Amino acid sequence: MKKGLIIGLLVAAVAFGAGTYFGRSGKQEMTISSSTQGASYAGGFKAEGVAVKPGDAIRSVAGPAPTNVVVVKDGESIQAAIKAAPKGTIVRVMPGTYHETVYVDKDDIRIIGVIEAGRRAVLDGEKKLNDAILYSGNNFVAENLEIRNYKGNGIMGQAGNNFEIRNNVIVDSGVYGIFPQLGQNGIVEHNVVSKIADAAIYIGMSDNILVAHNDVFDSVAGIEIENSRHAIVEHNYVHNNTGGLLAFVTPGLPIKDTVDVIFRNNFVVGNNHPNFGAPGSTVSGIPAGTGILVMAADDVVIEGNIISDNKVSGIIITDHANAQNITADPESEPNSDRVKILDNVMLRNGYDTITEAKALMLAEGKVGAKNLDIVRVGPSPGSCIINRHQYVTVGVSDFTECDFTNTAATVNYLLPPVPPREIKPGERGKVVYLGICTGCHTYNGRMIGPPVQVIQALYLDNPQGLADYIAKPAKKRDDYPEMPPQDYLDPQTRLAVAQYMLQVTN
Amino acid sequence: MLISQARGIAISSWIGTLLLMYSASAFSADGEKLFAQCVACHGNKGEGNATLNAPAIAGQDAAYLERQLLNYRNRRRGADKSDVLGAQMQAMATTLGDDAAIAKVASYAASLPKTVSAAPAPGNLHNGNNLYQGKCGACHGGKAEGNPALKAPRLAGLDAAYIKRQFAHFRDGVRGTDPKDAPGRQMAMMARTLPTERDLDDIIAFIHRQGRPK
Repeated sequence: MKKGLIIGLLVAAVAFGAGTYFGRSGKQEMTISSSTQGASYAGGFKAEGVAVKPGDAIRSVAGPAPTNVVVVKDGESIQAAIKAAPKGTIVRVMPGTYHETVYVDKDDIRIIGVIEAGRRAVLDGEKKLNDAILYSGNNFVAENLEIRNYKGNGIMGQAGNNFEIRNNVIVDSGVYGIFPQLGQNGIVEHNVVSKIADAAIYIGMSDNILVAHNDVFDSVAGIEIENSRHAIVEHNYVHNNTGGLLAFVTPGLPIKDTVDVIFRNNFVVGNNHPNFGAPGSTVSGIPAGTGILVMAADDVVIEGNIISDNKVSGIIITDHANAQNITADPESEPNSDRVKILDNVMLRNGYDTITEAKALMLAEGKVGAKNLDIVRVGPSPGSCIINRHQYVTVGVSDFTECDFTNTAATVNYLLPPVPPREIKPGERGKVVYLGICTGCHTYNGRMIGPPVQVIQALYLDNPQGLADYIAKPAKKRDDYPEMPPQDYLDPQTRLAVAQYMLQVTN
Repeated sequence: MLISQARGIAISSWIGTLLLMYSASAFSADGEKLFAQCVACHGNKGEGNATLNAPAIAGQDAAYLERQLLNYRNRRRGADKSDVLGAQMQAMATTLGDDAAIAKVASYAASLPKTVSAAPAPGNLHNGNNLYQGKCGACHGGKAEGNPALKAPRLAGLDAAYIKRQFAHFRDGVRGTDPKDAPGRQMAMMARTLPTERDLDDIIAFIHRQGRPK
């Protein structure tokens, strides 16, 4: 018995020694670069005309402020003021408590809270209302508000372009805190968002986005860039979420890729919050203790972040096949291509990692490592890294040396106000599907609500039944969140979107 | 006057309760009696018998069992020539008598303690979980426990061969084709969305893990 044990230990020791030896001999030469010197990342988006110089950085996208101003006082209704206002109105909301859902379908509306000696305009859903603000108008601005106790969304955009959402406090407000869906050219900055059951800030199917200076915590996903292009996420403090920063391709959405995301100069600290996403949903698959997660997104640049105390790993790079609760989409490329990891400060990550990561470390001969900064599973072609020797890594040995060391030349991806999304006659159903439904329903997987494929099977040739359901949904599934009523859409629109949804093919 | 009326109501409602209690026990007693016809194949605890191709029915949703028995009797299930096993059940269902008898036996089988299938169902649980959550869980429940609100039966506890066979029936137009069988048609539509047979094995492996002691 004893003998067997000793032999076993010997074998293990020899195997370990061989692993270290071969591991070392396979190691590349150490290449040391300085991020203050060397080439700069060219960026993935070129606005037409000349390149923007740092001094000319765009800080506003919603166009000139309207001159028409109305004031809403405590006890009055914000929605009533917006209904009465012409397009091109600033709605000033005085401190007080407002129990309502605000719909904005006009262009150039700005809802600006007035803060008096720390007292804000508070929208309180009392855990009865679903959404605080839904906007489909363009050039929309929401500022200085406090939003609490809604069940669905804090602020959700539905195909509105040129939006600015800043200086808001959003607490415990359902599934998404700030959620611009299908928008181009938007800023989300200086918001404090917490206790959100899915993504605190969720950029969905949008382009040309800046997410900056937000404080995001106690949520399942901190800041999520999903099926979106040309986004910069910088100077945010992202802490005590289940996962901090995420660049995702969610399969089964109408936009099939996520390309060109820069995560830079953020604090990504202690994202170890137990996962409280609905079991079986996409975000419930995020391991608690994830600093940055890249899943099937391409050209994600990670630079200058302080990433510390995330217990599973500082950075996880994965493909669809290895991710939990993901159903592959034949039209989405499943790999994280061309990830670029520049200098980051990584401390005390991966101190209590998952079994899968431990197995990978073992396979690479990294026995006894107490930390894990970067783990990559699944293919990640064309990826690069600089100063790799400073991190504890698994799966990045085939990353090349990046031919740039910083992103200084890429200021932001914002544009002067862009025209509204073009809606052709007869496309109303499609736009509503893209702008609203796909926020929670993917074609073939479980995001928040049931997959569209399942809805198609349930309603077969009964679009009116579906249109009636979305106006007044009834809870049918214990393990899914309740669907918010979409009765702010008129009956024709509801039928149009139901018809569209029942025939869409991915 | 008022008092006697109130007393009258009290007495009649008391008698009503008694009658209800009596009929409920008679109902389940009838169900148990009728269930005797099922045990030869489905087992005396309703646990199913894979060798006889008889699925577990213990603890299954009563409305689902009733609907299937009616489907058999009305030749909406088990009538296709290729479904030899279904034809056996179809013959049995016609011997059960009227709608009330069917309701009774369904309700009795539903009242039996849920069982799990002992036969192993190997497969890739990671893929099985992902596909199950993406395609099945929205109706059959996250743990394959079934959802009466969506007319979706419990799948946990069913043996792999039965699930596979029924899935093929749905996919291949053997089951779920009758215009009056709306839930069956829904399942048939979903069955056609699964890419490969291997995926089905993985999903079944996931289902097999559900509802059993850890």
